[in-house]
Amino acid sequence: MNRLQERAFLNRLEELRGPVPPRPHDARAIAALAANPGCTRRSVMDAAGIDKDRTARHVGFPAPFGQSQFAITRGNGFEALVKENGCAELLRVLRELLGLPVSQVGYQDVESVGSHLRHSHTRALIDRAAREEDGAAVFYDHPLFSLEIAGHTSYLEPDVVAFQIGGRFHIVEIKSFGLVDGQAEPGKVAAAARQAAVYVLALRRLLADLGHDPERVSHDVVLICPENFANRPAGALIDVRKQLAVLNRQLARMTRVERLLADLPAGLTFDLAPDESGVPTRSAEELAEALRQVPARYAPDCLSTCDLCMFCRDEARVCGSTDMLGRQIRDQLGGVSRVSEALGLAEGTREPAEGQEEIAELLRLANRLREESLR
Amino acid sequence: MSDSLDALERRIAELRAEVRRAVAARENALARSLRGDLRRAEQAWDAAVTAEAPPRQREPEIALVPIREQVHQALALLGVPTSAKLIVAVNDAFFSRELRGSQLTSLRRDEERSFRSDPYARPYYLCAALTDRLSPARGLLTDSTWPTELRVLGPLSPRVHFLTSAMRIAEHLTRLAEPPEGAMRLLSRMAQNIPGAVEGFAPADPVTAIRAAGAELEVHRAADAAQRAEVAARATSRLSDVERLFGVTAMNTLRGAC
Repeated sequence: MNRLQERAFLNRLEELRGPVPPRPHDARAIAALAANPGCTRRSVMDAAGIDKDRTARHVGFPAPFGQSQFAITRGNGFEALVKENGCAELLRVLRELLGLPVSQVGYQDVESVGSHLRHSHTRALIDRAAREEDGAAVFYDHPLFSLEIAGHTSYLEPDVVAFQIGGRFHIVEIKSFGLVDGQAEPGKVAAAARQAAVYVLALRRLLADLGHDPERVSHDVVLICPENFANRPAGALIDVRKQLAVLNRQLARMTRVERLLADLPAGLTFDLAPDESGVPTRSAEELAEALRQVPARYAPDCLSTCDLCMFCRDEARVCGSTDMLGRQIRDQLGGVSRVSEALGLAEGTREPAEGQEEIAELLRLANRLREESLR
Repeated sequence: MSDSLDALERRIAELRAEVRRAVAARENALARSLRGDLRRAEQAWDAAVTAEAPPRQREPEIALVPIREQVHQALALLGVPTSAKLIVAVNDAFFSRELRGSQLTSLRRDEERSFRSDPYARPYYLCAALTDRLSPARGLLTDSTWPTELRVLGPLSPRVHFLTSAMRIAEHLTRLAEPPEGAMRLLSRMAQNIPGAVEGFAPADPVTAIRAAGAELEVHRAADAAQRAEVAARATSRLSDVERLFGVTAMNTLRGAC
């Protein structure tokens, strides 16, 4: 892309967003991107840095989630417990989990330099740690990484980065959901893994930028959770290679978002046109109409990650899309995009189009089985 | 008891009425002696009421110790730079139990203000621990009378401080004839994170805890001392008195750090 094209691309994104500053991405938002890579609506809105939460509220479909104050307090409390006394609890867990040698107990609080220098100080410390070959294990508390996303830099704050055995960096993610009998809620673990993958990626890019081998960041992240029903921290290793691959692909896709933009009608904008006090003045129908111009790919998983989920779900319901039945069923129904179409094929009232013969056969079989069992 | 109170109240009412009559009749001498009787009756009433009230749970004289004294007491026991949370825990386990975390938030700032306006007027100041960039470390309190080497931090220091505090708490427990239960719980909690100090979730034995913490401390001691000596030398040569106690602000650290 040459300079002129780039300018035009950024202008187009600004046009989509309207005259408000772009919304910075945090790790949670970047992780959510990886959760549904096929959704154009989300890709475009994220690339333009649009405040999806406000948009969703304005069109009358506020997201059903948000962080509860109690959850935040609980999370912060647990994190403080894990980190207190020079990460004493974390050291115990890592000694049990990874066999961290007793002599490796260093601790550096990056925040001690003041918030404006945190990013450069993180760089300097990581550079020094990667350069020194003695492999002194050091916990870097409150580090600050950056990740370039669609032209603007997002800053990320992992919980702790541990540098340890064999000269490999490990990301430590502290979460306050319980690890009961070695098991935790899969949805929450998946979300934590996606989030940690963002940090791994950011650290790998930092190392590559400094001229070190990015593979020195382990793809195994350490997840620290309270064990069973007590408040005692316990740890587990999670392999985030899959999440990393999705994330890489999605971020590469975002830099190619201009191709997605080319398909959008000219003059399309998601500008809320806020007045002086910040109250949106654009009519909700108009905005909803603009949103419908961009194809979405709704899946039930969106309900836990995307601010626009309720809007997309409503849309999928109204047009009877097979998307709302979940990803697995949608994939099995490949080529059949409407529920009514699938029913028509099953009941034989509709002739299968080219390429639909196989799925039509299956649907008819399923229908026959159902009829017989109901008889 | 309450009978005598009732009797006293009746007597006070009678005496008041008599005083009023005496004053109305301008019998000054009689009024004066009656007033004396009234005062004595009221004092007796006061004494009876206080005797009847339940005894106060906490000793009032301990609550009178200023916050900085209580913090100093905890720091003297631990002997290393300590976070507010652990100071409160130690105070709760061994001392007055009057200290609250929120009371410590502005302590360091107040001490700095006092030192700036009138240096060395107090026998000790509660001051900051210094990081390797000579800035104040977050949330740690130290005692100004300690040598600079003890008040600076290297990368290994947080662990060394944790092990030392656990040892000091355990040593103090061995000195006490009746170790307080809260202190045993505090030690057990700390010992969980020291290899070989305690079996599972059992209460910690102070002697074993001292031995285990000492063993790990031996591993770190030399490296930590060398790192701290280097930072301390820098602090001594570069910083003014007040900066040496309370650290330099972030902008000034740019001068010579790293």
